[in-house]
Formats: sequence, C-alpha cells, structure tokens
Amino acid sequence: MECAFDAQNLISISLMKIQSSRTQRGGIKLHKNLLVTYVLRNARQFYVSKNLSQTQRTHQYEDVAAVRERQDYFELPGSLTELADDFYCNFTGVESDTWHCGAHQHNGQPAEVAHQDASACAMLSPSDADLMVSEACWSCADKSPWELPIPNAQANQKTVLDLDTHVVTTVTNGYFHSDCCAPSKQLQGAQCYAKKRKVDTSYHIVDPEFYLPDFGPVPCKRMRTDDELHSDSDQLDSTNISNLISVLGSGGLSEFVSWQQTDLEQIFAAQTICLKHTLLTGSGWTRAIEAF
Amino acid sequence: MCLNFSLNGSNHLLLSLTSMVHNASFKTDVCPVGARNCSRSCGSSGAVTGAGGGNSDVQWCFSQVKGAIDDDVAEADIISTVEFNHSGELLATGDKGGRVVIFQQEPESKNQPQCRGEYNVYSTFQSHEPEFDYLKSLEIEEKINKIRWLPQKNAAQFLLSTNDKTIKLWKISERDKRPEGYNLKEEDGRYRDLNTVTTLRVPVFKPMDLMVEASPRRVFSNAHTYHINSISVNSDCETYLSADDLRINLWNLEINDRSFNIVDIKPANMEELTEVITAAEFHPNQCNTFVYSSSKGTIRLCDMRASALCDKHAKQFEEPEDPNNRSFFSEIISSISDVKFSHSGRYMMTRDYLSVKIWDLNMESRPVETYQVHEYLRSKLCSLYENDCIFDKFECCWNGNDSVVMTGSYNNFFRMFDRGYRQDVTLEASRENSKPRSVLKPRKVSTGGKRKKDEISVDSLDFNKKILHTAWHPLDNIIAVATTNNLYIFQEKLN
Repeated sequence: MECAFDAQNLISISLMKIQSSRTQRGGIKLHKNLLVTYVLRNARQFYVSKNLSQTQRTHQYEDVAAVRERQDYFELPGSLTELADDFYCNFTGVESDTWHCGAHQHNGQPAEVAHQDASACAMLSPSDADLMVSEACWSCADKSPWELPIPNAQANQKTVLDLDTHVVTTVTNGYFHSDCCAPSKQLQGAQCYAKKRKVDTSYHIVDPEFYLPDFGPVPCKRMRTDDELHSDSDQLDSTNISNLISVLGSGGLSEFVSWQQTDLEQIFAAQTICLKHTLLTGSGWTRAIEAF
Repeated sequence: MCLNFSLNGSNHLLLSLTSMVHNASFKTDVCPVGARNCSRSCGSSGAVTGAGGGNSDVQWCFSQVKGAIDDDVAEADIISTVEFNHSGELLATGDKGGRVVIFQQEPESKNQPQCRGEYNVYSTFQSHEPEFDYLKSLEIEEKINKIRWLPQKNAAQFLLSTNDKTIKLWKISERDKRPEGYNLKEEDGRYRDLNTVTTLRVPVFKPMDLMVEASPRRVFSNAHTYHINSISVNSDCETYLSADDLRINLWNLEINDRSFNIVDIKPANMEELTEVITAAEFHPNQCNTFVYSSSKGTIRLCDMRASALCDKHAKQFEEPEDPNNRSFFSEIISSISDVKFSHSGRYMMTRDYLSVKIWDLNMESRPVETYQVHEYLRSKLCSLYENDCIFDKFECCWNGNDSVVMTGSYNNFFRMFDRGYRQDVTLEASRENSKPRSVLKPRKVSTGGKRKKDEISVDSLDFNKKILHTAWHPLDNIIAVATTNNLYIFQEKLN
C-alpha cells in the first residue's frame, strides 16, 4: 500500500511523462498517455481519499472503490470548503520542506509536520477555514504588491503554474500575479517572470480560464535534470500538485484549484477525467489530440 | 475473382464460400490436454505431425544469431517485429529503421539429415521511410510495427508491412534467368547500329545468379488517424484488416484507394475516452470473425455478417479484476498487448503485462488457463513505471499444434508454457549460450530471500534487455526470438 508521498511522487512522474510525450518523435501516443492518466487518477483518488478518511474514518479503499464504481463519475465526500482549503493549504507556506500550513499551530501540532500530514488541514472545521486562509500567508503580508489569493472571495480567480519556471501564479480576471508563497528560492525568479507575463498578457490571456503555455520543441532548460530534481525535491512537492493542475488543464483535476465556488461544485459533477485536455485556448497537447 | 467490393450480406456469403475452398485443409482441432488419443468428447485426433509433443520432451539448442555483436545498439537496428511465413521456410523481421530482412531456410542437407536447415539472408529492402505530416507538424516514424505474410499462391511471396500510418504490400520474387540475344540491343542495353544487323536470332533465357527482388505492389495510406498497431490477413486471402487506437478498417488487397471502417470506438467527446484498441486479428478459419483487444483488458469478438459497422460485439471476453491486487497501476498491467488465435481457431491467447491467458471462444466469463510470466515484478511496478518498462508491449505465440505457448520477458529471458503437461520453462537468449547446438539451460529467477546457485535475483535483472517479439515455426520446433537488435534462432535438439 503506497503512502501519500508515493502518490505525490507518482503524480509528478506522470505529469513529466505527459509533458515529454508532447515532443516525442512520431506524435503523441494515445495509448500510453491514456494509461498515464489512469495512474494520475488513481494517485489522486488515493491521496484525496486518504486525507478524507482521516476525518471520516472510513476505509480509504472503500472510498476509492465507491468512486470507481460510478463509472468514473467523480464524487468526493467531504465539504467543498475542506477540499478547497486542503489544496489551498498545500499551495501556500512552502517555505520549508513540509506541507507547511500556517494553521497547524491551531491544532497544537508542530509546524514542521511531514507532508503526509497535510491532511491535518482537512481536519479543520469549516469555520476555521477562513482563519487558516488569512494565517497561511501571514509571512507574506508585508510583501506588497503581491496580492493574497483568497479563496471564495473573488470571482474569476484561478491558480496556474508555469511548467517552464515552476512558478505558481494566480490569475485574476485575466491578469497574472505571482503567488506570494511561491518557493522562496524562486521568488526572485518568480518576480521577474511574473513581470514578463504582465507585459505579455496578450500572448497568454485569451480567457480567464487556466491554460498551458503553448510550446513547440521543449528547450532544455525547462526539464530539470535529475540532480536538480533531487535537490529541489522538497520544493517540488508543492509545485508538483500545481503541475498536476496545470497539465491537466481546465478539465477534471484542475478544477480542484479553481477557487470559484461554482467550479468547485463542478468537480462533483465532472465527467470522466481521462484525456480531458481540452484547454479552452487549445494548448499544443490538446491540438495534438483534436487535430486527428 | 473479380468482385465489386462492397460490404453487404451477399458478398459476405461469397467470401465465406471462398474461404471454405481455401480452408479445406485446415488443421484438426487439438486436444487441449495433449493426449494422443483423446477419449474425451473434444473429438480430436492428436498432434499434428511435425510439431513436437509436450514440452517435457523438447530440449532447445542454439542454432543461429543474426545481427550486430557489439553492445552499442543503433536505434535503427532495433527489431520491431518477427514473423514466419505459412510454410516456415521464410522468416521476416522488421526494424525501427523501416527495413525488412527476410531469411530463408536452407533445404535440409543430406549430410546432416538431423539438422534442420539454417536461415540465411534472402532479401533486404527498405519498406518505409520517415515521413512528415505538414498539416499536423508530426513526424511519422518509419518503424515497422507489424509484418504479415500472405499465403503463397504462385512463385512469388507476398507480405504486408506497416508503420504507424501506411500499409504496404510487397512482392518478393526470384529471378534466376535473364533473356539474352536481342537483335536490336547490346547486352548492356545500348542500341546496335542497324547496319551491323545481318542476321536475326531468337533471344533465349540464360541462367544467372539468383536475384531476389522486392517491389511494392500496393500502398494503403491515409486511412488511419491514429497509430496502426495491427494488421491481419483474412482467411479468404482477399481482404485484411488494419487497426489503430480507435478504429479498425477492412481492405481489399487489390484496392488501395478505399477501405471500410468496421470498428470505431472513438467517443463523440474525446474527453470521455476510456479505452483504446491494442490488437486485432482475423479468425484463422472463419472469414467473417475477428477479435480486438483493448487497453482495459477486454477482448471483443465481432461478426461482420451482423452489420457493416461492428461496434456491437458478438462476444466480450473479460475477467473480473481481483480486488486484492488493486494498485495504482492496475489499469496499465491489465492492458492487453497482444492477441493471437490458436491455429485451430478454437482458442485465443492474450498477453497483458504480467500474464498470458488462454480463452475458449465459447466462454466469455474468464480464461480457461492463466500463466504467470513474471509475477515477481508485481512489487516493482512503481519503478517499472518510472523507467517506462511497464508500457512494454510483449507479444505471444502458439506452437504449430497449439500445445505450447511462448512469450518474452526481461533480461533476455523468454518463457514457454506447455498447456498439456502444465510445465513452464524460462530460457535465455544470449551470446554466452551461443555455441552451435549447445542446449539451453533453464533459468530461474529467485523471488524469496535466499538465492540458490544459478538463480538470478529480481534486482539483478536487466530491464533494458527485453524480448518483446517471438515467433514459432508453424510446423517444426524452431523458434525465432528477438532481443533488442539480435535475432536468435533456436531448434529442438534432435538425436
């Protein structure tokens, strides 16, 4: 039985496979990528159900099995707010090698908990959610002009990740703002990339919905080498979930991180996850499939 | 026969009649128990002559190895398909560079009647070239995905070879005579000065060195949006099918500008895609029947007489998943990589990542036999996923009388399962065991804590050395096993 860490690992590996398949000779292999999305789905189901089972004390495989039974109809137990907070929590406070969640102190648990205990976030009652939110970015409160991403507070807000730079940004009404809690190492880089994006919005923004930047041949710098990966593995933990969101686009999984209330509800009504790569503006990935 | 080819009921009847004539000599059903005189109700008469009995009798020895010796493998030399023709005299291989190499078996020499003839290169040609699809900005690989031989009708041999997008029909013919003595031309082709022509003579055929020519007779293109994974020649010898990830098309061998779509599993909304077609094959005797396997581990049998579009299957073969074995990778390892009918047509075999299953066409609920190829890999699935090995597509094959099945594994191991004697053996294709007529020693992978002598531990297996393609001579105990870039030929040890 794989632990939650393996699930995260699998998710990031799967995303890299999908990404590298885009530039493979011979075109995208439909079969292989379909199988990779199954792994992604399983890993995510496991991760989510594991978190939720700690609150609901149900056997996690029951959850998974129940989900599977419904013919890929994706239904999650638990409240919308908890789910949103869970992932939001995972996005912020990435200053240490943990899924640091500012609200951990609230539970009396030590701040430096292993990432498996991100589930602690889910243990918070909904009423604490707002509290947690505002605390989560306490460290960044001083950092203007960054805006604090606040869930459920604004419409048209989405969290996106640039696969080139692994920078988490929040899109609000079509404008990019670099997330205040992006990994500190990359903060400088994030700053400059965010600025780049602001200038170049015409290239990126066609729709407030999240999309993948289009790319042709992938420049070498985008792919981290194994060495980099090992050293950055801690920081990658949080960005890996972001990767998950970004690559899978506006379908299925990415709706996890939509902070729009309506979108979160869409998760529960979502169709099958598989190959829903129809990013609204049409990324290279989608085009490769749709063009056939 | 001149058929205005169209897919309607009456022509199917015509095709059925044709197949009856062609298959007048189809092989007898083989008793699955392997008994020589079967008293059970299956009514079979025993083994077909030529093929050996149970595996317990057979010892395999090295015969030949083809290909480069050095470890540095050129990507273009990677073997991607291996296929014997219907008589077993010819053995074709396709590689990643788009080349086809055909080996021919030497006739048995009178000096060594015990030793079956060697296979030597008969013909080599470039079947497919890399192409570029400008509309989609995609390069189309020249790798040969499959080769299928046509039954021989005249002196020439015909085979179908396919890459991801295009199927080609090749004619391989021999030329051992050439005309000499033209009146108007010199031997080198230059025209003679007419003034020098004083007498007339009749040109005659003179023997020449044997030349084997391969020429493309038909090119079947622009019918597949996705990557072609299978081709299969119908028993009527007039049609064949080609299958890609989502569709199966039916072709007439004579007509290359038209094909009929007979299976289409593409959903209206691609976001709802849940499975793809992984392999397809025509029934060996019934020209109206074919099967296709899916990435979800199901096999569907279709009858072309029922309707033009065979989306509704006549039978669906599926084994329920064992919930105890559920893992992140359950979908991947249940994906079927190959499906092969037995020669008799009564059974079919499927290969998924960890096992080989034999299905009785009359029973859809579960396979009649399941053989574990390398169950010890089940605990390694995570690392096999990381290094992409879990996506390897192993093929499988039957022996001539359907009593033994064979498939490949890692570390250049390949496995044989004797259905009758319920035995299995693991053998290795390596240069170290390559002394002529040296008997192959069975190998064993140690799964427990203690490793016995001569056993190899799971962690020592070389996952870069994989045997994906194997072929068994249709009549004899001769097998062709392809490692990455070498082709090994093993024969039964004869005394």
